[in-house]
Amino acid sequence: MRKKAEKGRVLSIFLTFLKFGCFTFGGGWSIVSQIQKEYVEDKHWITDEELLDFTSVGRSVPGLMISNASVLFGYHAAGFGGALAALAGICLPPIVIMYGVTFVYNLVHDNLYIARAMMGVRAAVVPIILCALLKLTKSALKDWLCWLVALGAAALSLFTGLSNILIVVLGAAAGLLAMEVKTRHDLH
Amino acid sequence: MIYIELFVSFLLIGFTSFGGMSMIPLINAEMLSHGWMTATEVSDIVAIAEMTPGPLGINCATFAGARVAGIPGALCASLGVLAPTLTLCMLAAVFLNKFKESRLLQNALYGIRPVCIGMIAAVIIQLSLTNYAGSLFGVSWQAILIGLASFAVLYFGKWSVSKTILLSAGLGLILGGL
Repeated sequence: MRKKAEKGRVLSIFLTFLKFGCFTFGGGWSIVSQIQKEYVEDKHWITDEELLDFTSVGRSVPGLMISNASVLFGYHAAGFGGALAALAGICLPPIVIMYGVTFVYNLVHDNLYIARAMMGVRAAVVPIILCALLKLTKSALKDWLCWLVALGAAALSLFTGLSNILIVVLGAAAGLLAMEVKTRHDLH
Repeated sequence: MIYIELFVSFLLIGFTSFGGMSMIPLINAEMLSHGWMTATEVSDIVAIAEMTPGPLGINCATFAGARVAGIPGALCASLGVLAPTLTLCMLAAVFLNKFKESRLLQNALYGIRPVCIGMIAAVIIQLSLTNYAGSLFGVSWQAILIGLASFAVLYFGKWSVSKTILLSAGLGLILGGL
């Protein structure tokens, strides 16, 4: 019985996520709010708590938070088919739109007026990243050790030839080590 | 082969990034080391990605892939950046309850999150060096003015990112001619 219901859901998930994919601006939170409206409030497929789980797990698995959250929701709603349907739906619109944008960018980025406008836009990119960073520091830098790791990572990335990928791996190791020491310390 | 190179490069970016902005330092480093984009183009793509729908990673992968190797390139790069979602996240979906309580993952993230912050801070400095370079004592006063105005409306005015980008494009059109 459940299998049959799930089959009917796959196509509907694909189409709904195709729509989400066209309107996902400004990072992961917009997809969460769209899923909330459609599947928690209107269709009652999942609860708020489940959505919260998808969001937090989606953020802690490597990769894109938006596609991770989509896969977690899709699998939960309709198995592997649902997961793939949600993923394809959320990713197709941006790929198609971006391909078109790249084509236009290649044609016009030498144009004088476009170049001037892009100079202005580029000047806004650093403030945009900076504001995102300021919001992140509140939740990610909880104690002095975190600040130390953050400063160390910035220094390694700026002043050494170490690849960013290696720096992330070092961070994971530092986290495991620090928490291990902390737990042992608490036990004694 | 270029397709495999694109796939592997974005696969590495995917597996070592944790959502949104944390991807920019990794993309910046990979694009520059392969010569697929200049620092200026990385800034352009960040702004364009904010204006177009979809995850930043997909937008960057499509842009880089398409410029280097057309439609197949765009698809290979996008598949690469989605690899963690298709593997690790799929596993997490199947074992959701075990995953939620995994101490190992939470402990690793305790170190990874600050590292992401540090790397984002570093990329801000790197991007500033190109985006605010100009002819007046090495800096562009127009770019600095637009940067300050953008920060003010974003941080104090609580403007949306897309509105801020439109404002900065308009200011660029006016001031760029001076």
